[in-house]
Amino acid sequence: MNIQSKNLTREQADAFGRELDTLRQEVVADLGERDLEHIRQVIRTANRSEAAGRVLLHFGLGPVSFVLGTSALGLSKILENMEIGHNIMHGQYDWTRDPALDSQRYEWDNVCTGDDWRHSHNFEHHTFTNILGKDRDVGYGFLRVTPEQGWTPVHVTQPIVAALLALFFQWGVGAHDLRIDELFSGKQTPAQLGKRARPFITKAAWQLFKDYAFFPALALVNAPRVFLGNLLANGTRNLWTFAVIFCGHFPEGVRVYDQAETENETRGQWYVRQLNGSANIEGNRWLHVLTGHLSHQIEHHLFPDIPAARYPEMAPRVREICERYEQAYNTGSFRRQLSSVIGRILRLSLPGPMVAGLAHE
Amino acid sequence: MVSMSKMGAVWRSAGSAVAERLFLDRQAEFWMGELDPVRSLGELRARVVEVIEETEDTRTFVLRPNAAWRGHRAGQYTSVELEIDGVRVRRCYSISSAPGDALVSVTVKRVPDGRVSTWLHENVQAGQVLRLGAPSGDFVLGSQTPGKLLLLSGGSGITPVMSMLRDLAMSEGIVDLVFVHHARSGADVIFGEELADLAARHPGLRLVLCLDDDTSTPRGFDEAHFAELVPDFAERSTFLCGPKPLMDRAERLWESVGASERLQLERFTPALRLLPPVDSVDGVEVRLRRLDRTVVAKGQGSLLEQLERAGERPAHGCRIGICHSCKCRKQSGTVRNLVTGEVSSEPDEEIQLCISMPCSDLELDL
Repeated sequence: MNIQSKNLTREQADAFGRELDTLRQEVVADLGERDLEHIRQVIRTANRSEAAGRVLLHFGLGPVSFVLGTSALGLSKILENMEIGHNIMHGQYDWTRDPALDSQRYEWDNVCTGDDWRHSHNFEHHTFTNILGKDRDVGYGFLRVTPEQGWTPVHVTQPIVAALLALFFQWGVGAHDLRIDELFSGKQTPAQLGKRARPFITKAAWQLFKDYAFFPALALVNAPRVFLGNLLANGTRNLWTFAVIFCGHFPEGVRVYDQAETENETRGQWYVRQLNGSANIEGNRWLHVLTGHLSHQIEHHLFPDIPAARYPEMAPRVREICERYEQAYNTGSFRRQLSSVIGRILRLSLPGPMVAGLAHE
Repeated sequence: MVSMSKMGAVWRSAGSAVAERLFLDRQAEFWMGELDPVRSLGELRARVVEVIEETEDTRTFVLRPNAAWRGHRAGQYTSVELEIDGVRVRRCYSISSAPGDALVSVTVKRVPDGRVSTWLHENVQAGQVLRLGAPSGDFVLGSQTPGKLLLLSGGSGITPVMSMLRDLAMSEGIVDLVFVHHARSGADVIFGEELADLAARHPGLRLVLCLDDDTSTPRGFDEAHFAELVPDFAERSTFLCGPKPLMDRAERLWESVGASERLQLERFTPALRLLPPVDSVDGVEVRLRRLDRTVVAKGQGSLLEQLERAGERPAHGCRIGICHSCKCRKQSGTVRNLVTGEVSSEPDEEIQLCISMPCSDLELDL
């Protein structure tokens, strides 16, 4: 069981932050060839896996090559979206000055545009992490993932909604920055939404064309097989990323903040919020790479622009600092964190539980 | 025929746009690089064919560029990009080979404390691949070779004028050429053997070496001595490249005789030097290159705040250094990183506006 984090005074939080800054500096000073070699090796693996997958799907016959080809393609998409795309777009490799690893120019193999992602994720989510009303990633505006979010009858359907989101996760991510909910609240006109949605629609159309017309057409008689393989590879990637990301912020023990308590927050207090708003998944190197090191969600939220492959070596130090400041370090096996998330989505689809300080329930 | 070629160009640009949307360009670039690191869809790369020890501290790197190389004009420079400890660094070096040569050479003097030149000397060997920039520079021979020429150089400043000399030698263009070079000693003369050989074969070439260890002549560039050596210098089209003291004195000499318009010179970009950080940023000028505006930074605060106070609206996000939305290229000047405290004067460096403080006049790619 995780202990609850002690409330820190501003001075304590700043001292906590300074220790994390020192750790950050140490790693920044040590960045070098091995970090570049790591990301290039992952890019190599993803490209080879994609090529192998396409060859097996396009030229193979029978179910064995179909399953292998789809898996290889799915693996390459997972690596490209997580360890490569997500991390490059965070600016983790900007220090290399390699244009192929440039955060502001990278475009990933996903229906979400790089620009929308940089705005909704890198800026909004990572700056306002877990602040209700400011971090639109808390339940994405339609799921109730924490009791502090008020219950409405719509939430009864959320187990089904969450399952659908898992299957079509890239579309949820892609539409996230369009702020469709603001259409209903009147903060956005249909015309504004139409303008905002244009880059997403263009990218999504190209992605659909690539996966379901271009590559199947190249396969001639094997077109249906390639079509299905691409669909399953995308679906696998969707389920995997959904699971990883939900385990990062929504298991039991992760806390949310209200806007008033984060006003005039110091750098140290920002660190404390990042820590208490995130949860880790324990596992081996392969799990870490396949999650893009989001299995180290805590370290990622503390140091979003440090190359993610450094998180495993930073984690013991972070944990030791947390212990000294009596801060909970939320970590557990994949099975434990995922069942915690599923339990919460089910439980919170019904009203309650009571939250101290909230009057509306 | 014109419309045919136009249509071809339209097809090609449409094709590359489609390839980009389907990520085919990225994959093609990856697989080309896997097969042969020197090949690329658009990047200028070259394989090091040979490394020649010219003098104790100077080496020539003979390069075979890929298909993206479009040739150079004698006297131009190129940039060489290296990866040092995972970080790409670029430096400009004059090309010492002639445009007509099959291979391209850059000749690099090892600068004490020079990170890039030291790395080139210590780590770059035949077989390795380097990235190059497109050749540029206006320090070139005119299209019509003037009859009376003077090539004046000092130290490693010989590299661009050597390219000119080789070019002229190749095209039998040496009619009346004086080549004056300054060096510390005979052993320090870069291309010494080749110069002697060219002088022996071309009657129109007069080679003059001014060596510091020759006690019978003044040290370095001396106006009176030089006027004795080349009495008609003011009438000659002159190309000058060398250390700053030499260039400054020569420039004044040409001015004094009213011959400045016949003097062309190439100044090496000053070697990277850490400028002392200033305590007050008051009055620091920030030049925004693309907007073609200059902003004066006043008072405390990050560059982002300074620019906003001056009415600029640069792209930004978190304002605390985590999201990289405000990343921009600093072309010159010194900044201090407000998070790490690190002070940097590296040219062509990516900085985050929200956590950078100006420490000198700056030029930004905004």
